[in-house]
Amino acid sequence: MLHIEGLTAGYSAIPVLNGVSIKVEHGQFVAIVGPNGAGKTTLFKTISGIVRPSAGTITFEGTDLLSVHPARRPHLGIAHVPEGRQVFPSLTVMENLEMGAMTEAGHRDWKRNIERIFEWLPVLAERRDQFAGTLSGGQQQMLAIGRGLASSPKLLMLDEPSMGLAPTVADFIFERLIEIRRQSKLTILLVEQRVAEALESADHGYVLEAGRVALQGNNETLRADDRVRKAYLGM
Amino acid sequence: MTAALEGFLQALTAGLLIGAVYGLMCVGLGLIFGVMRVINFAQGDFMMLGMYAAFYFFTALGVQATFGNAFGPFVAILLAGPVLAVFGYAIHLVLISHVSGTRTTSLEGEGHYAQLILTLGIALILQNGGLIVFGSVLASIRTPLSSSAWELGPLFNDISIFVNKARGIDAVVSLATMILLTLLITRSRLGKSLRAAADNPTAATYMGIDVDRAHRVAFALGTGITAIAGGLLATNYPFHPFVGVEYVIVMYAGVVLGGMGSIIGAFWGGMTIGLVQQMSTLVLPTQLQNAAIFVVFLLIIFFRPQGFFGRMVERT
Repeated sequence: MLHIEGLTAGYSAIPVLNGVSIKVEHGQFVAIVGPNGAGKTTLFKTISGIVRPSAGTITFEGTDLLSVHPARRPHLGIAHVPEGRQVFPSLTVMENLEMGAMTEAGHRDWKRNIERIFEWLPVLAERRDQFAGTLSGGQQQMLAIGRGLASSPKLLMLDEPSMGLAPTVADFIFERLIEIRRQSKLTILLVEQRVAEALESADHGYVLEAGRVALQGNNETLRADDRVRKAYLGM
Repeated sequence: MTAALEGFLQALTAGLLIGAVYGLMCVGLGLIFGVMRVINFAQGDFMMLGMYAAFYFFTALGVQATFGNAFGPFVAILLAGPVLAVFGYAIHLVLISHVSGTRTTSLEGEGHYAQLILTLGIALILQNGGLIVFGSVLASIRTPLSSSAWELGPLFNDISIFVNKARGIDAVVSLATMILLTLLITRSRLGKSLRAAADNPTAATYMGIDVDRAHRVAFALGTGITAIAGGLLATNYPFHPFVGVEYVIVMYAGVVLGGMGSIIGAFWGGMTIGLVQQMSTLVLPTQLQNAAIFVVFLLIIFFRPQGFFGRMVERT
């Protein structure tokens, strides 16, 4: 579904990503883990078109994504739930969800989507008329996820949904994500620093270090790998 | 005593009427500066163009002949709005978009320095271009309504208030425009996407909103709104190609007074300025009208730096 080949990108002369190749197939749950500064967020920003790559290709369902205007990419079915949530603070919860539904598919499926989102994340229904800026961090993260789901995506990209949240809140959000995935069969690409949780639920994982794919494999291979066990799982 | 009360009520009425038009004028800049954070020093000159557009629609392009002297001016003014909106759209497309919207991330000071210089340049070109094209003779949109009045009253103690007919209709048109705009911004998909693009341009792109286009639409709307306000002012005040300079400072004061980012706030900011200007004539000589505005402005900003409707929290 999403094929990234030899991607090199960065903000100045020094590349943050250096020849990264990643594949996400239909229905898969792929996790990308790695330390701070490994290039995980830059990878997502390149997929969404906020950062322009200097080399490499990205194809999404056969379309050359790099030739698509960044604002058109969500309409192809890519939802980006960004790092640090980035909800629209001066819009209400409901209006934030409506912004998610700005895509053609999201507009068409609005009624069905909003029902499911409220079922999965009931706190959003309770706070529908509240300004997003007044929500707690965990609630904002749920809103960001709900906003992503409102676009009727084919691929949901989640950038560190646990960032800056209390461990119990992060656990709850992970549990919700797994439930959402179980019911919706959505293809998910997850970037996460909580390596154990990310690898546990993913079908396939990549370890990104200093802008390169250091390791990849299915969750058993990765969790059995000595380097991963030592560096990320603390075993 | 009765005379003082009558004078007070008369000034209050005049303040409310002119304030409604100032409010609309400030709302135009509020969209561009308050919401989209683009510094536009040419806003006053866009308004000047709006005045001339209304003037030529009325006199030269047959509106006067078709709709008559009483309602013709208002038809012409409402036509000038969309024309200037298209002008604003084009100016943004060709010039402003290079120093605003998604480009600002790569510019120093969020592109504000570049916007300042660019829009000052546009202002100078419009002022001097206006001088060549329109000439330096004072123009005005003449309607018999601006020299006749409705009498309200006698209310009590034989006090009557006189409402200038042109100013009365100006205020009504201004309020109606304001209500339509508020509905557009708060209720429509377009309005919500403009607010989202202003709140967080990057996240708006992730939603599939074309942020540069959203900025352009907001710029066009802001230009059109200020042009309508300009046309309304022109039914009472004669104007010339340099008239924009007199109003642009008032516009910024109104937007800051109302609170950055708030459309309703910008309207009340403009209303406050209108009221202060008219009420000050009760106790101060007319020449000090504008000084009074800025004394009140400084007092309000001192006690409430975020403006009437501004939020203290910075946007993320």
